[in-house]
Amino acid sequence: MKQAIQERFLISPFLVFFVIHATQVGIGVLNFQRPLMKEVGQDAWMAVLMAGLSAHVLIWLMYRLLSHSPSGGDLVSLHEQYFGRWIGGVLSLGLLFYYALAAFMVLQSYIEIIKVWVFPLMGAWQFSLMFLLMTYYVVSGGFRVVVGLCVWGVVTPLLTIFPMVFFPLEYAQYRNLLPVFDHSFGQLAKASKEMVLQYLGFEMLLMYYPFLKQAPSSQKWAHAANAFTMFIYFVLILISIVFYNKEQIQHITWPTLTLAKIPEVPFIERMEYIVISIYVLVVFPIIAVSIWAATRVIKQLFAVQQRRSLPVLLACLFVGGMFFQEKTHIEQLTEWTAKAGFYLVAVYVPLLYLYVWTAEKVKKALQQKP
Amino acid sequence: MRRGLLWLGALLLLGGCASSRPIDEIQIIQQMGYDFENGRYTGTAVYPTFKQGPMTKPNMLTTTSPTVYDLIPRLSSKSALPVEEGQLRLILFGKEFARRGVTQITHSLARNNKVGSHLLLGVAEESAKELLKTAANTTLSDTLYLPNLVEQNEQSMNLPKTNLHLFLYRYFSPGSDPFLPYFEKKGDFVKLEGVALFRDDRYVGHVSLRDSFLMKILLGETKNGVYQLKVGNRGKQGEDRVMLQNLWAKSKYEWKRDGSRHVLDVFVHIHASVRDYPSWLDHSGQDLFADVKKKMQNELEHNMRRLFRYFQKKRIDPLGIGDFVRSVTRHWDSDAFYREYPDLDIRPHVTVDIVHTGIGE
Repeated sequence: MKQAIQERFLISPFLVFFVIHATQVGIGVLNFQRPLMKEVGQDAWMAVLMAGLSAHVLIWLMYRLLSHSPSGGDLVSLHEQYFGRWIGGVLSLGLLFYYALAAFMVLQSYIEIIKVWVFPLMGAWQFSLMFLLMTYYVVSGGFRVVVGLCVWGVVTPLLTIFPMVFFPLEYAQYRNLLPVFDHSFGQLAKASKEMVLQYLGFEMLLMYYPFLKQAPSSQKWAHAANAFTMFIYFVLILISIVFYNKEQIQHITWPTLTLAKIPEVPFIERMEYIVISIYVLVVFPIIAVSIWAATRVIKQLFAVQQRRSLPVLLACLFVGGMFFQEKTHIEQLTEWTAKAGFYLVAVYVPLLYLYVWTAEKVKKALQQKP
Repeated sequence: MRRGLLWLGALLLLGGCASSRPIDEIQIIQQMGYDFENGRYTGTAVYPTFKQGPMTKPNMLTTTSPTVYDLIPRLSSKSALPVEEGQLRLILFGKEFARRGVTQITHSLARNNKVGSHLLLGVAEESAKELLKTAANTTLSDTLYLPNLVEQNEQSMNLPKTNLHLFLYRYFSPGSDPFLPYFEKKGDFVKLEGVALFRDDRYVGHVSLRDSFLMKILLGETKNGVYQLKVGNRGKQGEDRVMLQNLWAKSKYEWKRDGSRHVLDVFVHIHASVRDYPSWLDHSGQDLFADVKKKMQNELEHNMRRLFRYFQKKRIDPLGIGDFVRSVTRHWDSDAFYREYPDLDIRPHVTVDIVHTGIGE
């Protein structure tokens, strides 16, 4: 077992609320309505709730896995303990790739939005360079700085962007919500599966779990964060259902941003530009947390200091960004990441939990016998 | 470290210089007209030129092209400054253009991140170009005359609310058809004449401003609008009409099955003030007013039935009845509904409450 992390690097349990919420809400918020409403139309809000509840279950499972494993550490040490150095190492390498991919996907999607809406002539590399430099600054400050960023990444958008989504209610057609339950259970399940992807982000917990003070007691805050994410998605889907109709929304790339076209104030005509600018604060924590998690994997796996691996990783992302310019590529990337995340959280973690649970049982039984 | 921060700061500051467009170095289009004449499309752009102080003068650019999409690029070839459409307030379609369908324009607008959702659309009785020219000539300083005209009438008079968002909403919805304000050129003036109706994206007819009051109420907008009603047979002109001002109205739809057919009951409750009424009504006491109320209700119902029949005959649904029926039907089938629609029995039931008649007796 590795030595425990010094207390000055740890964070209070309630801060998990901000980290989990900040990493859950990301680029997906801008266009999660489309696939949902295509599948189940006005019943999309049910899929949002169902997916949120299953995310609760997955978080619960993750805490069980991390707190009941005797190593008391992160997923990498868990891998090493149960699968040995080589197989466990390969699995951890997969985790590393996933975290890097998640950061890369969020960065590229946000750059795409900036290019479409605000600066069509700007090259992607300029923006990604600035962004990665900022990430370097934050992540090299350590996990506590990353968490501080998450706090602002939750509070600022909540106070500025969130109130704006209520303005479109001026055009609300409340009859769009009726008739309730007009779709089969199969359709709802399919839409919920699609929606679970939007709750992803809590899988970073697998790496920062040892950094929590009294880790098991932070579970209620993790659930609170997920409930809050659910609330935000729920409000957004309700507003989108009454504001758009099922056909119309299929023609809008980012329905949430188009909602922000509605508020009008005398000194600034078009609020969506403000929203996009503030959205940096939504996107930035996700990138910072996942880059931090990736470098943490590297440290645990190869004993390379995070300070050393961070520039290399950022350089890889920067170079990789040069090859992703087209919209279809970015869409494909998003799809891969979502799939990887889904299998990690909804398939791999439960299986791993089952394995660990049985292994412990067997071990106990063997110990009692002789 | 300090040097690194300096570099970062410089990078952030210079990043903002990527593409700046100072206001006096661009041509801001505020209104745009589209026409179809002799097999070619004509685009007309109205832009303000700023003179001393707040005075602006509307100027125009016109160009023709065999296709719709390159009208704005072609306008650039006549303009000394780059053309920007970010401040567009109104797009006007000539009737002939609207008959051929406006999808090309509206889809391109829906994709264009530069224009806002509040952009107004409209249909001109003849050519949009002529209408914009007339509006520019009559109003020497106000480049936003037409958009203001529409907004004023939506807020305080009979015109139902329309804009780009609502147009697209009704256009994409399987249960409704879009409509837009309809303008006519009267001599040297531009006049709002009513509401232009579309089937999908094609102009098919229009209703008067008087009927648009009924549309406004049936669409569920609760406030404003005036309506003149005939309540007596006293012969002399104007002596048998009352002027109704809507203070607060509520409409409710009910969808029922009557044997093999469907019936749509429409309940409308109008709280109104009577602005003007003939002098003979004053002397006859409370009873006669009740009688007049009855007559008003009958006449409103009659006019609504006429309006419904007109929509049914044209096979258009600007009121979104299909949308309503969808909300009360499981697995609604839009094709089946619109097959039945022309023969649908729509029954309006109007209640009028006269809240007051002004401060004089």
